[in-house]
Amino acid sequence: MDLISSWLGNTPEFAVPFALAALGLIITEKSGVLALGAEGLMLVGAVCGIGAYLTFEQTAVALVMAMVAAGVVSLLFALMVLVMRINQVISGLVLVFFCQGLTTLTGTLMGWTNQPVPGLEAIALWPLSELPYVGRFFIQNVVVYLVPVIFLISVWALNRTTSGLRMRAVGENPQAADAAGIPVLGYRLAAIVIGSALIGLAGAFIAVLSTKLWISNMTAGRGWIAVALVIFARWSPWKALAGAILFGCIEALIPQLAASGIKLPQYFVFMAPYAITLGVMIWVAISKRDSSSQPGALGTPFIREERT
Amino acid sequence: MKKLILSACFALAGLVGLTTTAHAEGFTLKGEPKIAMLYISPTNDGGWTQAFEEARQRLEKELDMKIQYVESVPESASAIRPAVERFIKRGTNIIIGTAFGYSDTFKSLSEDYPDVAFLNGSGTTNGPNLLSYYGRTYESQYLCGMAAGAASETGKLGFVAANPFGQVNWTINAYAMGAREMNPDATVTVVYTGAWNDPTKERSATKALIDQGADVIGQHVDTPTPQLVAQENGVYGTGHHRDFREFAPKATVCSSVWVWDRFLKNELEKIIAGNWVPEPHGALLSMEQGGTDIACCGPNIDKEEEAKIMAARDKLLKGELKVYAGPLKDQNGNVHAEAGEVVSDGDLWQMDWFVDGVITQQ
Repeated sequence: MDLISSWLGNTPEFAVPFALAALGLIITEKSGVLALGAEGLMLVGAVCGIGAYLTFEQTAVALVMAMVAAGVVSLLFALMVLVMRINQVISGLVLVFFCQGLTTLTGTLMGWTNQPVPGLEAIALWPLSELPYVGRFFIQNVVVYLVPVIFLISVWALNRTTSGLRMRAVGENPQAADAAGIPVLGYRLAAIVIGSALIGLAGAFIAVLSTKLWISNMTAGRGWIAVALVIFARWSPWKALAGAILFGCIEALIPQLAASGIKLPQYFVFMAPYAITLGVMIWVAISKRDSSSQPGALGTPFIREERT
Repeated sequence: MKKLILSACFALAGLVGLTTTAHAEGFTLKGEPKIAMLYISPTNDGGWTQAFEEARQRLEKELDMKIQYVESVPESASAIRPAVERFIKRGTNIIIGTAFGYSDTFKSLSEDYPDVAFLNGSGTTNGPNLLSYYGRTYESQYLCGMAAGAASETGKLGFVAANPFGQVNWTINAYAMGAREMNPDATVTVVYTGAWNDPTKERSATKALIDQGADVIGQHVDTPTPQLVAQENGVYGTGHHRDFREFAPKATVCSSVWVWDRFLKNELEKIIAGNWVPEPHGALLSMEQGGTDIACCGPNIDKEEEAKIMAARDKLLKGELKVYAGPLKDQNGNVHAEAGEVVSDGDLWQMDWFVDGVITQQ
């Protein structure tokens, strides 16, 4: 009883960064740009969120500035992949290494390392919060409750608005979209910046709301798990959300099992999230459902009038 | 056959090498001493490196000389070598490292530069001009365990640890033994996070322990997160690396702290005096030799309990108390030291057993 309620109560802390980062990646990749830089952009969001909080002492300001900062840094990525048409895999990896160095340097020079911040109060969603077992799942900070709303808006924008449909057209077949008069690079730029802002928010969530401090490289590979999530969600936001919750559940369960003294081989437990990632990816590959859901032009630079 | 001869030659060469070092004079500096330190992280990391930086500042005063340093040198030969060689070119002849991952590069550097003395904190390699050193953290953590046992109302202690290997397990066992010194029924529940520096995992581990009823949280991970979570939840904790009252003044009752200057001052003086012979298997420092100490005591520990902790500290500082002295049995009844014996250093490094009162998944 204690174990289950404590477990579910801690799940969003792990699930929300995965969900937001995966959504950001999906938005960018729907426009045909392969984004691998999530790990780096999350760090940018994290350090900027903490820095902004320490400067302005407003959590909302900190979160917004983290999104802006990640968006600004992603302009560099956009310059590389859209204007200079550098290989998108390489650009993404370079972005991660660049951000790791940049954030460590900034955090150190500004003295933001290990400075605790208060985060946000948890709000209880009465009467759901009174339910047995699952009650603690509904005592979370406001950003957790905003996640489904952000997903709803994103899915609606992608499927129901002209801009969203155009962005997806750019990702499926940029030549056709171009012939129809859609500015391909403009839409891709917008997708990169919006997606990166969401990834920045994921990083800020980890630093400002979850752990409540900054240390160098604190995202600890969660950006890479988000990249994997996008692949096994087949670029579907709702499946990515489900995957994020599944991952959050596993990560939150690990310390609960240890704290309640249940005997399980330690290294097997540490391996579990990655073993499950592998398992799900293999399952997706074998079942081949929605195999066409990958954006058609993913990873291909756009050159106007070029035959492909 | 060729291989066999070759290896025989090497073995012989090794033997000759051994005998010559055994008979040779110790290491003596060629010129005026000039010291430099290499840090693995930024100097304001709040833990490991900051403790070295504080030691460096005290050493400068005590030895009355300037000690240079370079920060954020990652654990890779391509980063360590140029940094060290730049110092050596400028005439530095004592190099102090601070990381496990420097071990191999320091070994090869010490062979390339036989006139330079090398020291490496938490390293594993040694040689005629290279000494690795580390602290017996279980001594200071034993005292933290005593403080935790004293501060706890329920007798249920939690411990957030990095990875299950000797160096971490020895602090956990000592913590439990210290706690039982104050409260014979105390238990220590351990959560390993599998990482030294992942505040997200440390936070959820600490929360899980508090949810299960732990009211004092010990730690052997690098960030102050467990202390912050303890303070948020109105329970107590004990810190590691530095005095974590800086982060959680209402929660931290005791911290295991590094006092490298106490050891380094002695060792540097020995090197400067000349004829320095480093210990062949490295220096594993007891509190008596410097290395670790405690910052005690925070809230919820009364005068009587504090006196008891300080008395134990005095004994450790004088070398009169051995934490791993026999008779010592693990949970499964295996004897690890008979009465009058002390667990050997080799066994300490390989510790994979737990004493009564420790609850782990291992």
